[in-house]
Amino acid sequence: MERCARPGRPERPLGVGRNVKLRLESRIGYVDLVHEMAEGMARGMGFEKGSALNIGLAVREAVINAIKHGNGMDAGKPIEVTFEQQDDLFRVRVRDQGPGFDWSHTANPLDRENIFRSSGRGIFFMRHFVDRVAFQRRRGKGTEVVLEKRFDAAGRAGRGGEVMKRRKG
Amino acid sequence: MKANARHHGKVTVVDLSGKITIGDGDIKLRQAVNALLDEGRKNIVLNLGGVSYMDSAGIGELVACYKRAREKGVSLKLLNPNGKVQDLLILTKLQEIFDIYRDEREALASF
Repeated sequence: MERCARPGRPERPLGVGRNVKLRLESRIGYVDLVHEMAEGMARGMGFEKGSALNIGLAVREAVINAIKHGNGMDAGKPIEVTFEQQDDLFRVRVRDQGPGFDWSHTANPLDRENIFRSSGRGIFFMRHFVDRVAFQRRRGKGTEVVLEKRFDAAGRAGRGGEVMKRRKG
Repeated sequence: MKANARHHGKVTVVDLSGKITIGDGDIKLRQAVNALLDEGRKNIVLNLGGVSYMDSAGIGELVACYKRAREKGVSLKLLNPNGKVQDLLILTKLQEIFDIYRDEREALASF
Protein backbone atom coordinates (compact mmCIF):
# COMPACT_ATOMS: atom_id res chain seq x y z
CA MET A 1 0.00 0.00 0.00
CA GLU A 2 1.36 3.37 -1.00
CA ARG A 3 1.99 5.74 1.88
CA CYS A 4 0.72 9.28 1.62
CA ALA A 5 2.71 12.25 2.82
CA ARG A 6 1.03 14.02 5.73
CA PRO A 7 -0.04 17.45 4.57
CA GLY A 8 1.53 20.30 6.50
CA ARG A 9 4.22 18.19 8.09
CA PRO A 10 7.71 19.52 7.41
CA GLU A 11 10.21 17.13 5.90
CA ARG A 12 12.84 18.35 8.32
CA PRO A 13 12.51 19.52 11.92
CA LEU A 14 12.53 23.25 12.63
CA GLY A 15 16.03 24.63 12.46
CA VAL A 16 17.22 22.02 9.98
CA GLY A 17 15.01 23.09 7.08
CA ARG A 18 16.72 25.44 4.69
CA ASN A 19 14.04 28.10 4.71
CA VAL A 20 11.86 29.06 7.65
CA LYS A 21 9.34 31.90 7.75
CA LEU A 22 7.84 33.50 10.87
CA ARG A 23 4.94 35.92 11.08
CA LEU A 24 4.77 37.63 14.46
CA GLU A 25 2.84 40.36 16.20
CA SER A 26 4.89 43.49 16.84
CA ARG A 27 5.77 42.73 20.45
CA ILE A 28 9.19 43.29 22.00
CA GLY A 29 8.76 39.95 23.77
CA TYR A 30 9.38 38.19 20.44
CA VAL A 31 12.81 39.76 19.95
CA ASP A 32 14.56 37.10 22.07
CA LEU A 33 12.77 34.31 20.19
CA VAL A 34 13.94 35.54 16.78
CA HIS A 35 17.46 36.21 18.05
CA GLU A 36 17.73 32.68 19.47
CA MET A 37 16.40 31.14 16.25
CA ALA A 38 18.88 33.08 14.13
CA GLU A 39 21.80 32.22 16.40
CA GLY A 40 20.77 28.56 16.67
CA MET A 41 20.35 28.16 12.90
CA ALA A 42 23.71 29.83 12.30
CA ARG A 43 25.33 27.37 14.71
CA GLY A 44 23.56 24.53 12.93
CA MET A 45 25.00 25.73 9.63
CA GLY A 46 28.50 25.60 11.08
CA PHE A 47 29.20 29.21 11.99
CA GLU A 48 31.38 29.33 15.05
CA LYS A 49 29.94 30.59 18.34
CA GLY A 50 31.11 34.21 18.08
CA SER A 51 29.88 34.60 14.50
CA ALA A 52 26.54 33.01 15.37
CA LEU A 53 26.09 35.46 18.27
CA ASN A 54 26.90 38.34 15.92
CA ILE A 55 24.27 37.10 13.46
CA GLY A 56 21.76 36.82 16.30
CA LEU A 57 22.57 40.35 17.47
CA ALA A 58 22.19 41.78 13.94
CA VAL A 59 18.83 40.05 13.47
CA ARG A 60 17.77 41.26 16.93
CA GLU A 61 18.46 44.86 15.91
CA ALA A 62 16.55 44.45 12.63
CA VAL A 63 13.55 43.04 14.50
CA ILE A 64 13.66 45.83 17.10
CA ASN A 65 13.76 48.39 14.28
CA ALA A 66 10.84 46.74 12.49
CA ILE A 67 8.71 46.65 15.65
CA LYS A 68 9.60 50.10 17.00
CA HIS A 69 10.23 52.27 13.97
CA GLY A 70 8.56 50.29 11.19
CA ASN A 71 5.33 49.23 12.85
CA GLY A 72 5.38 51.87 15.60
CA MET A 73 4.89 49.24 18.36
CA ASP A 74 1.44 48.45 16.91
CA ALA A 75 0.95 44.81 17.89
CA GLY A 76 -1.75 44.48 15.22
CA LYS A 77 0.82 45.03 12.48
CA PRO A 78 2.81 41.85 11.93
CA ILE A 79 6.48 41.48 11.15
CA GLU A 80 7.73 38.70 8.90
CA VAL A 81 11.11 37.08 9.37
CA THR A 82 12.48 34.69 6.74
CA PHE A 83 15.59 32.60 7.36
CA GLU A 84 17.28 31.34 4.19
CA GLN A 85 20.09 28.84 4.63
CA GLN A 86 22.14 28.57 1.46
CA ASP A 87 25.34 26.66 0.78
CA ASP A 88 27.55 29.70 1.02
CA LEU A 89 25.58 32.16 3.14
CA PHE A 90 22.87 32.70 5.71
CA ARG A 91 20.30 35.34 4.71
CA VAL A 92 17.62 36.77 7.01
CA ARG A 93 14.84 39.05 5.79
CA VAL A 94 12.86 41.17 8.25
CA ARG A 95 9.72 42.86 6.92
CA ASP A 96 7.52 45.40 8.63
CA GLN A 97 4.16 46.86 7.61
CA GLY A 98 4.65 50.45 8.66
CA PRO A 99 5.44 53.71 6.90
CA GLY A 100 9.11 52.92 7.36
CA PHE A 101 12.07 54.81 8.74
CA ASP A 102 14.70 56.78 6.90
CA TRP A 103 17.74 54.50 7.17
CA SER A 104 19.74 56.68 4.77
CA HIS A 105 19.91 59.56 7.25
CA THR A 106 20.95 57.79 10.42
CA ALA A 107 23.52 59.70 12.42
CA ASN A 108 26.94 58.16 12.97
CA PRO A 109 26.91 57.04 16.63
CA LEU A 110 30.70 57.42 16.78
CA ASP A 111 30.61 61.15 16.11
CA ARG A 112 31.50 63.16 19.19
CA GLU A 113 28.09 64.87 19.28
CA ASN A 114 26.29 61.51 19.19
CA ILE A 115 28.36 59.44 21.56
CA PHE A 116 26.15 60.31 24.56
CA ARG A 117 22.91 59.54 22.75
CA SER A 118 20.92 56.73 24.31
CA SER A 119 19.61 55.50 20.94
CA GLY A 120 20.69 55.31 17.30
CA ARG A 121 23.10 52.35 17.37
CA GLY A 122 20.87 49.61 15.92
CA ILE A 123 21.75 49.98 12.23
CA PHE A 124 25.38 50.56 13.18
CA PHE A 125 25.38 47.19 14.99
CA MET A 126 23.70 45.43 12.05
CA ARG A 127 26.31 46.73 9.62
CA HIS A 128 29.12 45.67 11.92
CA PHE A 129 27.88 42.17 12.71
CA VAL A 130 27.05 40.81 9.24
CA ASP A 131 28.62 41.10 5.80
CA ARG A 132 25.76 42.86 4.04
CA VAL A 133 22.76 44.90 5.12
CA ALA A 134 20.26 46.13 2.53
CA PHE A 135 17.09 48.15 3.07
CA GLN A 136 14.32 47.87 0.54
CA ARG A 137 11.26 50.06 0.74
CA ARG A 138 8.25 48.15 -0.58
CA ARG A 139 5.73 50.51 -2.15
CA GLY A 140 2.95 50.97 0.37
CA LYS A 141 3.93 47.80 2.19
CA GLY A 142 6.65 48.84 4.60
CA THR A 143 10.33 48.04 4.60
CA GLU A 144 12.37 44.87 4.19
CA VAL A 145 15.81 44.61 5.77
CA VAL A 146 18.06 41.91 4.31
CA LEU A 147 20.99 40.66 6.36
CA GLU A 148 23.62 38.31 4.93
CA LYS A 149 26.51 36.51 6.54
CA ARG A 150 28.72 34.54 4.19
CA PHE A 151 30.95 31.57 4.80
CA ASP A 152 34.47 32.15 3.61
CA ALA A 153 36.00 29.64 1.21
CA ALA A 154 37.49 27.56 4.02
CA GLY A 155 34.58 27.91 6.38
CA ARG A 156 31.83 25.92 4.72
CA ALA A 157 29.91 23.32 6.61
CA GLY A 158 30.31 19.86 5.11
CA ARG A 159 27.45 17.87 3.67
CA GLY A 160 25.25 15.98 6.09
CA GLY A 161 25.75 18.57 8.76
CA GLU A 162 29.37 17.69 9.38
CA VAL A 163 31.39 20.79 9.97
CA MET A 164 34.74 20.67 8.24
CA LYS A 165 36.07 24.09 9.16
CA ARG A 166 34.32 26.85 10.96
CA ARG A 167 34.38 30.49 10.13
CA LYS A 168 36.25 32.67 12.58
CA GLY A 169 35.21 36.09 13.86
CA MET B 1 19.14 40.13 33.95
CA LYS B 2 19.80 40.37 37.69
CA ALA B 3 21.18 43.32 39.63
CA ASN B 4 22.41 43.07 43.22
CA ALA B 5 23.83 46.09 45.03
CA ARG B 6 26.40 45.86 47.83
CA HIS B 7 27.93 48.73 49.74
CA HIS B 8 31.62 49.22 50.52
CA GLY B 9 31.83 52.38 52.60
CA LYS B 10 31.08 55.28 50.31
CA VAL B 11 31.01 53.11 47.18
CA THR B 12 28.15 50.92 45.91
CA VAL B 13 28.97 48.00 43.63
CA VAL B 14 26.12 46.64 41.51
CA ASP B 15 26.72 43.08 40.34
CA LEU B 16 24.93 42.60 37.01
CA SER B 17 24.40 39.20 35.44
CA GLY B 18 22.63 37.86 32.37
CA LYS B 19 22.07 39.99 29.31
CA ILE B 20 21.20 43.67 29.12
CA THR B 21 18.71 43.80 26.28
CA ILE B 22 15.51 45.52 25.27
CA GLY B 23 12.42 45.05 27.41
CA ASP B 24 14.08 43.42 30.41
CA GLY B 25 17.74 44.05 31.18
CA ASP B 26 17.62 47.68 30.10
CA ILE B 27 14.64 48.32 32.41
CA LYS B 28 16.23 46.52 35.37
CA LEU B 29 19.48 48.43 34.89
CA ARG B 30 17.57 51.73 34.85
CA GLN B 31 15.63 50.78 37.99
CA ALA B 32 18.77 49.66 39.85
CA VAL B 33 20.71 52.84 39.08
CA ASN B 34 17.72 55.13 39.67
CA ALA B 35 17.18 53.54 43.09
CA LEU B 36 20.78 54.30 44.07
CA LEU B 37 20.53 57.87 42.76
CA ASP B 38 17.31 58.35 44.74
CA GLU B 39 19.07 57.06 47.87
CA GLY B 40 21.71 59.73 47.37
CA ARG B 41 24.59 57.35 46.62
CA LYS B 42 27.49 59.29 45.15
CA ASN B 43 29.86 56.57 43.94
CA ILE B 44 28.60 53.67 41.83
CA VAL B 45 30.45 50.79 40.19
CA LEU B 46 28.58 48.63 37.69
CA ASN B 47 30.16 45.18 37.73
CA LEU B 48 29.62 43.79 34.21
CA GLY B 49 31.56 40.57 34.84
CA GLY B 50 28.44 38.43 34.67
CA VAL B 51 26.90 40.10 31.62
CA SER B 52 27.05 37.93 28.49
CA TYR B 53 26.01 40.53 25.93
CA MET B 54 24.06 43.73 25.36
CA ASP B 55 22.03 45.05 22.45
CA SER B 56 21.64 48.65 21.30
CA ALA B 57 18.94 49.23 23.93
CA GLY B 58 21.24 47.94 26.68
CA ILE B 59 24.15 50.07 25.50
CA GLY B 60 21.79 53.03 25.26
CA GLU B 61 20.59 52.52 28.81
CA LEU B 62 24.17 52.31 30.06
CA VAL B 63 24.85 55.70 28.47
CA ALA B 64 21.59 57.09 29.90
CA CYS B 65 22.58 55.92 33.40
CA TYR B 66 25.97 57.57 33.03
CA LYS B 67 24.34 60.85 31.96
CA ARG B 68 21.75 60.81 34.78
CA ALA B 69 24.47 60.09 37.33
CA ARG B 70 26.69 62.85 36.03
CA GLU B 71 23.82 65.36 36.11
CA LYS B 72 23.41 64.59 39.82
CA GLY B 73 27.12 64.85 40.52
CA VAL B 74 27.42 61.09 40.93
CA SER B 75 30.42 59.16 39.68
CA LEU B 76 29.54 55.95 37.79
CA LYS B 77 32.29 53.56 36.72
CA LEU B 78 32.46 50.12 35.09
CA LEU B 79 34.13 46.95 36.32
CA ASN B 80 35.24 43.89 34.40
CA PRO B 81 33.36 43.93 31.08
CA ASN B 82 33.78 40.49 29.48
CA GLY B 83 34.66 39.64 25.88
CA LYS B 84 31.48 40.52 24.04
CA VAL B 85 30.53 43.44 26.27
CA GLN B 86 34.04 44.82 25.99
CA ASP B 87 33.88 44.43 22.20
CA LEU B 88 30.70 46.51 22.16
CA LEU B 89 32.22 49.21 24.37
CA ILE B 90 35.22 49.42 22.04
CA LEU B 91 33.05 49.33 18.92
CA THR B 92 30.90 52.21 20.17
CA LYS B 93 33.92 54.13 21.50
CA LEU B 94 32.27 54.20 24.92
CA GLN B 95 35.39 52.78 26.48
CA GLU B 96 36.87 56.25 25.93
CA ILE B 97 34.02 57.77 27.96
CA PHE B 98 33.71 55.40 30.89
CA ASP B 99 36.26 54.75 33.61
CA ILE B 100 36.73 50.99 33.31
CA TYR B 101 38.52 48.77 35.84
CA ARG B 102 39.60 45.14 35.80
CA ASP B 103 40.13 44.86 39.56
CA GLU B 104 37.45 45.65 42.10
CA ARG B 105 39.91 46.90 44.72
CA GLU B 106 41.30 49.36 42.19
CA ALA B 107 37.79 50.49 41.30
CA LEU B 108 36.90 51.01 44.99
CA ALA B 109 40.13 52.93 45.62
CA SER B 110 39.57 55.19 42.60
CA PHE B 111 36.88 57.33 44.24
